Amino acid sequence: MLLSANAMGPRLRFGLFTVNAVIAAFLLLPILFIVLLSFGSSQWLVFPPPGWTFKWYEQFFSNAQWMQSAFVSLKVALLTTVFATVLGLPTAFALVRGKFPGRDLLYALFTLPMIVPLVIIAVATYALFLKFGYTGTLTAFVISHVIVALPFTIISIINSLKLFDQSIEDAAVICGASRWQAILKVTFPAIRPGLVAGGLFAFLVSWDEVVLSIMMASPGLQTLPVKMWTTLRQDLTPVIAVASTLLIALSILIMLVAALLRRRAELKG
Amino acid sequence: MNAVVRENQPSSVLVSLRNLNKHYGDFTAVDNISLEIRDGEFLTFLGSSGSGKSTTLSMLAGFETPSSGEILVSGSSLINVPPHKRDIGMVFQRYSLFPHLNVRDNIEFPLTLRKMTTAERQKRVDAMLKLVQLEAFAHRRPAQLSGGQQQRVAIARALVYEPRILLMDEPLGALDKKLREDLQDELRHLHRRLGITIVYVTHDQEEAMRLSQRIAIFSHGQIVGLGSGYDLYQSPPNAFVASFLGNSNFLRVKSVANASASFEGQSLTTVPVGGLTAGQDVLLMLRPEKIRALSVEAAQQTALPSGWNEISAKVREIVFLGESLTCNVVTPGGTELTVKSLGSGLQNVQPGADVRVRWAAADACLYDQWNDADLSKGAGAH
Ligand SMILES: Nc1ncnc2c1ncn2[C@@H]1O[C@H](COP(=O)(O)OP(=O)(O)OP(=O)(O)O)[C@@H](O)[C@H]1O
Ligand SMILES: [Mg+2]
Repeated sequence: MLLSANAMGPRLRFGLFTVNAVIAAFLLLPILFIVLLSFGSSQWLVFPPPGWTFKWYEQFFSNAQWMQSAFVSLKVALLTTVFATVLGLPTAFALVRGKFPGRDLLYALFTLPMIVPLVIIAVATYALFLKFGYTGTLTAFVISHVIVALPFTIISIINSLKLFDQSIEDAAVICGASRWQAILKVTFPAIRPGLVAGGLFAFLVSWDEVVLSIMMASPGLQTLPVKMWTTLRQDLTPVIAVASTLLIALSILIMLVAALLRRRAELKG
Repeated sequence: MNAVVRENQPSSVLVSLRNLNKHYGDFTAVDNISLEIRDGEFLTFLGSSGSGKSTTLSMLAGFETPSSGEILVSGSSLINVPPHKRDIGMVFQRYSLFPHLNVRDNIEFPLTLRKMTTAERQKRVDAMLKLVQLEAFAHRRPAQLSGGQQQRVAIARALVYEPRILLMDEPLGALDKKLREDLQDELRHLHRRLGITIVYVTHDQEEAMRLSQRIAIFSHGQIVGLGSGYDLYQSPPNAFVASFLGNSNFLRVKSVANASASFEGQSLTTVPVGGLTAGQDVLLMLRPEKIRALSVEAAQQTALPSGWNEISAKVREIVFLGESLTCNVVTPGGTELTVKSLGSGLQNVQPGADVRVRWAAADACLYDQWNDADLSKGAGAH
């Protein structure tokens, strides 16, 4: 039985509206708070701000360390996106199309990083990289981020592969395309929305990841969230609010892009 | 019996399936099928769900590898030829168009793979668009087409590279009845115009009858009947086909002599059948429209023609269906019969009345072997 908004009494409707508004406010207020603070003139993050200024933004963009960490974040996120997608694609194919014993087990294994507490993965990868002398390198960042991003790309690609009617690929084959040609020319374009969504998720996972990154970071190489974390422990400058705002801005932008792509894919049928 | 006018009778064999088997684990999906498909014919695989039609078609297309057996096209084996090199066209139930390409590019796809010149491709695609009457839709995406239009695109895409064989697996299954009938007519015309060999899969009897020159009836992975729809209906090779195709009445009789039998103590005339021993159980099959039911008075006034049988029965139910009348009767021994008549004779008969049921011996089919499970509708699936 569907609960239709029209069938509800005005009182129930108002009640539901209020609850939703409170939840939304609860979720959004901290974000709004930090964004406002990044424009506030007070050195001590006073709220409400006594005045408005761009000077924290100027400080952020003129500070080589902040800029460098933002750049590292971007680089790690992009590399993570590429590797998580490139590795996720064949994995998803094998998990959907393959007929081998232990397939479900393998699926569970690949999605395990979503369930295992990040700290455990962080400690484990840190110990491993320490042994091989990789801590504090870009490689360590990317590998550890790919581990936690991979489940997202795999699940996203699996979902679109399951929705994809394999007889379309068969149709390409019977038309004269080899299996590989069919996958390249027909299956990939058809599952592209899932591929892109998975990539965007991977980017987001890496972009605001902090637990693994703290372990992997060295003084010379740190991502934006790590830089925020270390700065926060020294002094509470509004530049941190700037960094937060930028972090959030890019995340929201990417989610918008993902939503837009999904809309377009749905419109195309 | 062969009163139907035949279309140009194709003769030479194009495809031979020889002792084809497909096992999934210890389950047999296709059970030792042998079949010769003639060049240019429209052959339909008809059978209930799970009877192995799609699996057989898939082996022909190359998507499934036979567990054993041989597939020959014009005498050479297809077994080791991958599906994309078989030069076979195929139309799937769910259209299976390429969603990211428009109608024109969908149809052009096989030609691009074959590295044809642009001019040649253009010419062929245009011809196909015309053939399936979709010129006005050339630039639409599949999602912007109706089901019937999509299936026409799929047919065009399967025909554009001029394969010798076209496979169709329930291509009209997802369409509503009216559209399905329209497309059936189009398909028949297309087949006649192009002279291509079509192997068609359906579980719709009417569709099979309407389209095909020959029908192969599938049951439990085997072909249990093969012939024109007319022959299969009028003289089914076995009780399963008799019960599967159309409606049928079965009488359990005992053979008495070469051309006579007894049914519930009454003596019947039958067509002469060799090889029966006296007292042997025999199954007699009658199509409902071959039986006459007469009221007792009418039967007294009308002499029984020679070569006909008469038994008595009681009316259970009469259903008037416009152009015809269906009457269910039951014999004293409890055998139920369905009589279908085109009017006359039964108007005044009420349920419960005694009637005389008559049929010509020549219209009955006799089987000395059968499986009781085959006598009910819906048999044949795994
Ligand atoms: N990959 C498979 N693994 C195991 N069993 C299979 C497989 N493919 C088909 N079968 C079985 O083989 C039998 C025949 O299947 P098939 O698809 O040929 O039936 P069909 O006659 O086409 O039926 P329908 O009218 O429902 O399409 C079915 O019982 C099916 O469950
Ligand atoms: Mg099937």
